[in-house]
Amino acid sequence: MAETVADPFFKGNTGRNTRGILRLSILVLIAAAAIASRLFSVIRFESIIHEFDPWFNFRATKYLVSNGFYDFWDWFDDRTWHPLGRVTGGTLYPGLMVTSGAIYHALRALTIPVDIRNICVLLAPGFSGLTAFATYLFTNEMSTSPSAGLLAAAFMGIAPGYISRSVAGSYDNEAIAIFLLVFTFYLWIKAVKLGSAMWGALCALFYGYMVSAWGGYVFITNLIPLHVFVLVCMGRFSPRLYVSYCTWYALGTLASMQIPFVGFLPIRSSEHMSALGVFGLLQLVGFVEFVRSGVPSKQFGTLLRGFVLLVFGISFGGLVLLTVSGVIAPWTGRFYSLWDTGYAKIHIPIIASVSEHQPTAWPAYFFDLNLLIWLFPAGVYLCFQKLADEQVFVVVYSILASYFSGVMVRLMLTLTPIVCVAAALAVSSLLDTYLLLKSPEYPGDSATEAGSNGTPAPSKKAAKQDGLRSMRQPLVGIYTTFSKMSVVSALTSYLLIFVLHCTWVTSNAYSSPSVVLASRMPDGSQHIIDDYREAYQWLRQNTAEDAKIMSWWDYGYQIGGMADRPTLVDNNTWNNTHIATVGKAMSSREEVSYPIMRQHEVDYVLVVFGGLLGYSGDDINKFLWMVRIAEGIWPDEVKERDFFTDRGEYRVDEGATETMKNSLMYKMSYYNYCTLFPPGQCQDRVRGVKLPDVGPTLNTVEEAFTSENWIIRIFKVKDLDNAGRDLASAASFERGNKKKKTIKKRGPKVLRVE
Amino acid sequence: MHFLKGLLLSLLPAAALAAKKPVVDKFSQFHTKALASTPLKLDDSVYAKLTAAPRNYSVVVLLTAMEARFGCALCREFQPEWDLLSSSWTKGDKKGDSRLVFGTLDFVDGKNTFQSLGLQTAPVLLFFQPTVGPHAIPDNGPIRYDFTSGPQSAEQVHSWIARYLPDRPHPQVNRPINWVRGIAITTTILATITFLSVAWPYMVPIIQNRNVWAAISLIAILLFTTGHMFNHIRKVPYVTGDGRGGVSYFAGGFSNQNGLETQILAAIYGLLSFATISLALKVPRITDPKTQQVAVIVWSGVIFVMYSFLLSVFRMKNGGYPFWLPPFF
Repeated sequence: MAETVADPFFKGNTGRNTRGILRLSILVLIAAAAIASRLFSVIRFESIIHEFDPWFNFRATKYLVSNGFYDFWDWFDDRTWHPLGRVTGGTLYPGLMVTSGAIYHALRALTIPVDIRNICVLLAPGFSGLTAFATYLFTNEMSTSPSAGLLAAAFMGIAPGYISRSVAGSYDNEAIAIFLLVFTFYLWIKAVKLGSAMWGALCALFYGYMVSAWGGYVFITNLIPLHVFVLVCMGRFSPRLYVSYCTWYALGTLASMQIPFVGFLPIRSSEHMSALGVFGLLQLVGFVEFVRSGVPSKQFGTLLRGFVLLVFGISFGGLVLLTVSGVIAPWTGRFYSLWDTGYAKIHIPIIASVSEHQPTAWPAYFFDLNLLIWLFPAGVYLCFQKLADEQVFVVVYSILASYFSGVMVRLMLTLTPIVCVAAALAVSSLLDTYLLLKSPEYPGDSATEAGSNGTPAPSKKAAKQDGLRSMRQPLVGIYTTFSKMSVVSALTSYLLIFVLHCTWVTSNAYSSPSVVLASRMPDGSQHIIDDYREAYQWLRQNTAEDAKIMSWWDYGYQIGGMADRPTLVDNNTWNNTHIATVGKAMSSREEVSYPIMRQHEVDYVLVVFGGLLGYSGDDINKFLWMVRIAEGIWPDEVKERDFFTDRGEYRVDEGATETMKNSLMYKMSYYNYCTLFPPGQCQDRVRGVKLPDVGPTLNTVEEAFTSENWIIRIFKVKDLDNAGRDLASAASFERGNKKKKTIKKRGPKVLRVE
Repeated sequence: MHFLKGLLLSLLPAAALAAKKPVVDKFSQFHTKALASTPLKLDDSVYAKLTAAPRNYSVVVLLTAMEARFGCALCREFQPEWDLLSSSWTKGDKKGDSRLVFGTLDFVDGKNTFQSLGLQTAPVLLFFQPTVGPHAIPDNGPIRYDFTSGPQSAEQVHSWIARYLPDRPHPQVNRPINWVRGIAITTTILATITFLSVAWPYMVPIIQNRNVWAAISLIAILLFTTGHMFNHIRKVPYVTGDGRGGVSYFAGGFSNQNGLETQILAAIYGLLSFATISLALKVPRITDPKTQQVAVIVWSGVIFVMYSFLLSVFRMKNGGYPFWLPPFF
């Protein structure tokens, strides 16, 4: 009965419509789930921009919205990198800001008044919904199964590997870039499948958008040529491939060159050379194919060989010549460190110092992808089943992205989409097999039937040559309901655990704004630690508008965004020397630091100190990187060795080295700290050590502000002494010390000869 | 009075000469020795003589421990670089314009020196500035170069030395052309080409075999996703002891791992994937219902148990993780 009732809904035209509506509503629900799972931080804390880089993006967006596009494009920012300034308009990826600016103006045109901050906070969740949809489209190109796309969209929507960079408030380039990445790949597959210039042009358009949004566009720039190259090597050159790649390359390169920050890189830097090389290769192969159709095959062989050798020789010579003459730039450090894994550690400490650039240990994979990580190889294996052009893309993408994500944690982001797609292929193939209500007929019958058809023997042989091992037998189906039930129910429970896992990870690991910290009181209630904003607000209200703040580069964007004060260095680490200057000022003695600070017109110094609260991300723990980066520029004046005791320990207590105790950073961190404790109980809770009772004294700076939990301490740099004394003796006089009699050093006694 | 002054003035150059002469001799003496073989092999007494206070030349001494029983891998790694540096410096500066002497003091020959310097580790590079002469430096303690960041190349040490020798020639490091390596590479390339041209007809089916490529891809993916690159970059130990004489397979901590651990993980992932593939591709192709039933149960069981084990391993790495499946808690 039930079958007859439901029948009209699943057959014919109505059936198609029903499925369409179901699919649409499922996709909308997935998008809603994707957005909702990213809102933990907004609900727990408030609608606030997170972390470090987003603060710069937010500031730039505000600038864009208030000054218009052209001013933004030509923006020279004199409030960062004092006294150098930064050509901001030409050194950022404007895609993110322009996107939210466009949304802002569109909403205003619809007379919906929305604060620009809320758009920025909610941009990433919004785009994650679109990413889920793009994944759906992409997966549908890979598989004929209707469920694969929906599963992939669902995985993509809630996979923690993607949530980690797209929670509400994490207003970073990756927020829109992953959507663009997946969508560009979808368009590329479409273009290759159809051999259509239109899809190729669309792909180039979105590639251009991607270039404007994230430096990770290089991944696309290399993956698509690699895909084409592999296809050519497999002997799958076709006019479709030629048309789609040439369209994409020509238009996409032109589009990417419109971004000032990228400029002429696509024809000069080595990262883009593979795309150019494959473009040349395609012309060559295309030409050869063309000649082959016109020339008799005997002469063809010699002609071809000579031609290929000649072109190869000329292009190789040209490449070497251009590299030697310096027209083609060498590898940029960040990219180079992906291949030669020891490179960054030796040559560029500033890259090695960023935690995102560390290699990935296996728990991180499981944490970010859960069961998808073991479904992933199965899905890739399934791609070998058919191995058409688009499946080759999945395989190439999987291997390349696995490698990159292993070298650098942050590139887990580029791995996540393909893992979701491959896992969805595996799960959907399982479900399609085991959810079929119809059981196959009795085996004896089917065997004779297959035999009577007369096909199996030759097809088996053909399959042996080409197909996968596990596909040699003909497909039969699942016989018993028990098998179906057990597999499906087990799979369902794994998927439920996956959902729980994703929610747990998102809620616990990725939803902290890190500007505001949360802790639990003894009675279980939540206590918000808001020292950062307290301190930045103090700066905003109590210092001159153009007071220069010196801090380690991590906090540069936040100071610029929240306190609106000029900074010496910030998270856009383009000038290593300038960062090293700050590192030197922090790690040297006061007498050395003071002239540096005067020369850079520093008014306030800001340090982050977690000793009281047990906040481990403070400056003393980052201190060695300051020392190392400074040592890279001034190896004679700053030495990492001096900060370690003779036994090679990094200590801050009584046993700290003299250099450590005299460094400005140490002094500022522990200045007056011990007055908080009764004598003899002065303790640093991060490093878990007891400190000496007599804290350091400061001569050239004075304490200006310390936040509630001592996380942020701000010191004012003293002006020159009125009486012309040096600051050390002036401070000593203030403290009421007796002036020491200066004993004039006389030389050794000389015999007076007269 | 004037007489006295005159006398003193006339004596001064003589005294200076008298004081200077042996010093000059000392350098040229060491320098001629160095021309024959450099770096000079020192022992306690030669070391003391070489670094004795009035000197108008600079000395670089490598304090090392080459013998196998000391097990100093760093010393042995650095030694060829050191020999290369000193020989190319000495060859480039035959006249001795830079006034620099290279010496090596092995622990076996210089126990007393090691003791008096209070050295616990080797190798250590000491640099002595001249105390008299045009480049004299008032602070005459040696400058120490520690090998804190692993073995150094000759060029790195060269630049370190050159920093302390301004206005003096710095002969470049000349790396000898490595003929053996060149020949080896050429031979290998030729052998590969020969092998390929001979074996090509037999290789083609292998290269074009889908199963081979599938296996290669899956192995690569499994290696990378279980943190092989982390092992490679951080050079983690293969296994660690658990402090009771046993072996602990899993390193503690979320962002830490052992070499063996990643292999176990790769095996678990591989098994899980294989079971999934079997369920999806192989089982529906089994024609006998009973065999199929057994296969379904076996592979589902494998997935269940392995996944449960995986979760328990992850709970070990990440203390607060709340999810688990029955057999392993």
